[in-house]
Amino acid sequence: MATRVVPGLGALVVLALLAGAPGAWADHRPDKTVLVGGAISQTGRYAEPAGRQVNAIKLWADEMNARGGLLGHKIELRLLDDRSDTQTSIKLYEKLITEDKVDVVLGPYSSGITEAVANVTERYKKPFIAYGASSTPIWEKGRKYIFNIVAPAEDYQKGALHLAKQIGVKTIAIIGEDSLFPRQAAKGAKDWAKKLGLEVVVDENYPLKQTDFTALLQKIKASGAEAVISNSYFADSAAQLRQMREQNLNFKLYSSTIGPALPGFPEQLGATAEYVLGFSQWEPLPQVLKLPGMKEFIDTYEKRFGEKPNYHAGGAYGALKVTEAAIKKAGTFDGEKLRDALATIEVQTAFGRYKVDSRGMNSHEGLTFQVLRGKRLVVWPEKWAQTKPELPAPEWSKR
Amino acid sequence: MSPAARGWKERSEVRSLYLLAAFLVAAYALPFVVGIQAGTVRFDERWLANLVSVVLGGFMQGGVYAMFAVGLTMIFGVMRIINAAHGEMVMMGAYLTWVAFFFLGVDPLLSLALTLPVAFLFGVAVQRLLLDSVVGQPELTALLITFGLGLVMIYTAELLFTTDFRTIPYAPGTVQLTSTIAVGQNRVISFVMAVAITAAVYLFLKLHRLGKAVRATALNAEVAMVCGINVRRIYLITTGIAVALAVAGGALVSIQFGFNPETGVVYTLQAFAIIILGGRGHYMGALVGAVMLAVLESLVSLMIPNGTAMVELAAYGLMIFVLLIRPGGLMGVKEA
Repeated sequence: MATRVVPGLGALVVLALLAGAPGAWADHRPDKTVLVGGAISQTGRYAEPAGRQVNAIKLWADEMNARGGLLGHKIELRLLDDRSDTQTSIKLYEKLITEDKVDVVLGPYSSGITEAVANVTERYKKPFIAYGASSTPIWEKGRKYIFNIVAPAEDYQKGALHLAKQIGVKTIAIIGEDSLFPRQAAKGAKDWAKKLGLEVVVDENYPLKQTDFTALLQKIKASGAEAVISNSYFADSAAQLRQMREQNLNFKLYSSTIGPALPGFPEQLGATAEYVLGFSQWEPLPQVLKLPGMKEFIDTYEKRFGEKPNYHAGGAYGALKVTEAAIKKAGTFDGEKLRDALATIEVQTAFGRYKVDSRGMNSHEGLTFQVLRGKRLVVWPEKWAQTKPELPAPEWSKR
Repeated sequence: MSPAARGWKERSEVRSLYLLAAFLVAAYALPFVVGIQAGTVRFDERWLANLVSVVLGGFMQGGVYAMFAVGLTMIFGVMRIINAAHGEMVMMGAYLTWVAFFFLGVDPLLSLALTLPVAFLFGVAVQRLLLDSVVGQPELTALLITFGLGLVMIYTAELLFTTDFRTIPYAPGTVQLTSTIAVGQNRVISFVMAVAITAAVYLFLKLHRLGKAVRATALNAEVAMVCGINVRRIYLITTGIAVALAVAGGALVSIQFGFNPETGVVYTLQAFAIIILGGRGHYMGALVGAVMLAVLESLVSLMIPNGTAMVELAAYGLMIFVLLIRPGGLMGVKEA
């Protein structure tokens, strides 16, 4: 008798697995928990921005659990560290999905790692909102299970170029680190320059971790460029500004994609940071952006982590609020149904509006700020401007 | 060796020097040639001023790099240990200076009086606890142990300071040499400090009894021991000085660039490239190598269109060709 039952049971198990039982995993957990997990850089070169996303994720999970969890399930977080390494991240996502059997996947940080991980999540049909990636090519490969929330890399210099046009700049230099995100930002900057009728006289990349920009800056000055559009992070933009100042090279406008948006940029650089333009996906300014739930998020975040959330934290939090709404709409953790909900839902969160197009891309609008008297003040677009931009920047000797 | 063979060897030695000179002329002329072709080289007064600023900037940069490369080359010369944690020691120096500046309000240059003794003691401790046991072991063992030390230092720094970038706003002004040629204040300060500190160490090695003992140990540890030199003590002093040089380099890095716990790796690589180019274990070689690399990078960046993307190619290309012609590096001893 027994010998006949066992293969029968085996067949049932196989059938259950084949028939898309993954969606029911959560309900099968004895303790009624839902496993939410991802690999996010907690060490390595991305640890700084990604760490703030980890903060936002923890905040959201505790908030949800205090309110009774997701669909009545207590959230259990499983956050692994990919050490800012693409290969490690791929392995960790394989493990999270196949071994740990997470119910809801959280995205990694950086466009490069997200691009690689998207291949894994796509294979297992696990949808997620990529709060850590802003490079458009990720969404131009026909993927179905990855959604964008932040403004794309191509738009980071949009505001700076509009402001350059406004103050009568005609020639610009576009420089940037030689990697995926800065190159995309440069591509977008060139497109915007063309649309606005600005001439690009220098277009140059530099290797990762370049520290000496003296020669590049002299070259830009010699080319007659009036403004510098720099697709850079902290170390490189700080070095560029310092070396401009050291050599007394004056430009009407300097804009950097990431550097000035990081906490501590104005404090650490002092007067050298003044008049610099930067881009932000979001700023913790409820009175300016007027988004729902924004003030509560900012207050609880600041209370817990001792600083105001930056846009990395805001983006991750917004993405989780959207995921939460989509899960509620789908009424299940099933990957396929959650995917459909994420593709169609429209939500207003503390980060902004979420509604994706057929590629899965949101049309989030960022803002351009200027460092003035040690503070970041929004200067573009005009509807959110906290103050008038002070451009062209005065000569170094007057800063 | 027969006289004929010796003669041949000398001739090939001379030939390789000619070859080296010819190669270096070609390497440094190349950016000019490409620049003239592309129209970025103009030879008018303004452009020449640009060129002078850039070469001067590169030269001064080279002085700072040389300072920590000298530390690396000392450890290698005396103990045959490749210190893979050297860049992390530079990073440690940057943080020590940063803490002194922001929390104690000490001027970055004055704080050297505070940080250098700390660095020396740290070096002594590293020698006592870690390196002593691997001197004379295969080079890989030492490489692994210092690599491990580097990781521990990185993660300790992350724990203490997080991964946020830091920098020190110090002497941001400019020094106007002529109406068109300017260099940064902090670059001049850094360069002068680097030259002063490396010269002091150089004089110590040349003139002081202990310094001579360090050099004797570098030449042949066993013979040095037979002559009554306490080799273990020499090792302690060497590592102490090397770490102090790295930390001093870090102080200068902190007032020029941004840094975080991970930036040390860049400086390890840079110091490696410099001492391999200059000649492993060779003191002046590190200085010459550092300045040569920095100046070549500046020329390539200034004159070749999109040249800044090629500076690493130029730097490592230079290194490889120099090694092909002279396997011991520019100033290196002839190797068997």
